[in-house]
Amino acid sequence: MLSHSALTPIHVVLHKVQKRISMLLALLGDWAAFTGIVLILGLGTSWYMIDIGTPLTTERQGPWLSWTSAGRADADPYTRAHFARLGTLQLSAEMTLTYVANTDSEGRRLHSSCDYSIEGREPGTSWWSLSVFDDRGELIPNTARRYAFTSQSIALRPDGSFLIALARDARPGNWLPTGGAGRLALIFTTVDPSTPLLAKPTETQKPLPAIRRIQCR
Amino acid sequence: MNLRDKLKHANWQLILAAPIAAGILHICATLAAPYLTAASAYSRLAPALPVNKIQVLRPLAPGAEPLPFLPADARYAMCRFDTSAGPVTVTATLPPDPGWMLAVITRQGDNVYAAASTPGRATPITLVLVPSEEYFLGVTPEARGIARNMEPPVPIAATRGIVVVRGPDMGLSYRTQVEAVLKRARCSGHSF
Repeated sequence: MLSHSALTPIHVVLHKVQKRISMLLALLGDWAAFTGIVLILGLGTSWYMIDIGTPLTTERQGPWLSWTSAGRADADPYTRAHFARLGTLQLSAEMTLTYVANTDSEGRRLHSSCDYSIEGREPGTSWWSLSVFDDRGELIPNTARRYAFTSQSIALRPDGSFLIALARDARPGNWLPTGGAGRLALIFTTVDPSTPLLAKPTETQKPLPAIRRIQCR
Repeated sequence: MNLRDKLKHANWQLILAAPIAAGILHICATLAAPYLTAASAYSRLAPALPVNKIQVLRPLAPGAEPLPFLPADARYAMCRFDTSAGPVTVTATLPPDPGWMLAVITRQGDNVYAAASTPGRATPITLVLVPSEEYFLGVTPEARGIARNMEPPVPIAATRGIVVVRGPDMGLSYRTQVEAVLKRARCSGHSF
């Protein structure tokens, strides 16, 4: 170790430079951590609320998810951003309700390698439909050219309930083909012009169809 | 360095500023998201639709969907409207069957007008789309001493967007009938 008297001017300068560099590095480290936290918190929470939604903006009934103010002029910014990013045409949530399901009633991802039964009752609205898509929102090619069932095209049971078979191969009754699409998305739409505009969500809530997995290949 | 020393030397200004900056970024990112997407419904549909003219879309089929997640449970007629050169009149008559709808959707995706069919009777609709800042539609026929023989048009403020007439797919036997109703819908622009 050099004694104080042995320090040359060059050593003093080097020591000062080293001290300044370590201070700068500490400051840069603080700013890097600050920037990282701000980006993760700011963009992460924004992405989550736009892409997945929260109870503030969505309503969940079993596997079905609905954005409560979809298509409305007074929609919240998260709903607006969600549908703008999705690129879909939303009809007003005041008259139509659109529910999306990506999982079965037990929370397992819908997939074309499995067969499902969709069972429910007429929702009591003037018109409804159930459509199947792949996870990119495209229709699934099939020889029957069938992509949806509506309240006008479905065969109901005598008690007013219905059963739709969601499967790759043909099934008797209401069969909705899934081909080899991979991950699936179901869309259940109800049109009800008589729904009061100021009705609370609980007042307008209708029982939605249950999605049960029958078997997988 | 123990925890006490670490807390003592921590940059508290940055620690306190982080959640505030994250909140500002969250708000900015959320508000900017609709404008940053290149694939909104309007931008996907606009190139294929003539301005101020209704067009009946072909039945939806795999590989020819104009939009993602557009249910194939209906036939669609659409009109890309632009009121910058003058108001646009939209007329359609929704049959008494359930599932028929007419909606006016702005470029930003807001559904500014929606009407659905009423069971038991046809629903005639006449709308006048005017630019957002323009609400005055001239002197009414009543003010000019002329009796009105039709329902007054509903003024809607919107500059650009899409009018969608949606007819439910009721099966092959009704396809021609549904298409005929869609073809009768009108969308026409007028100069100021």
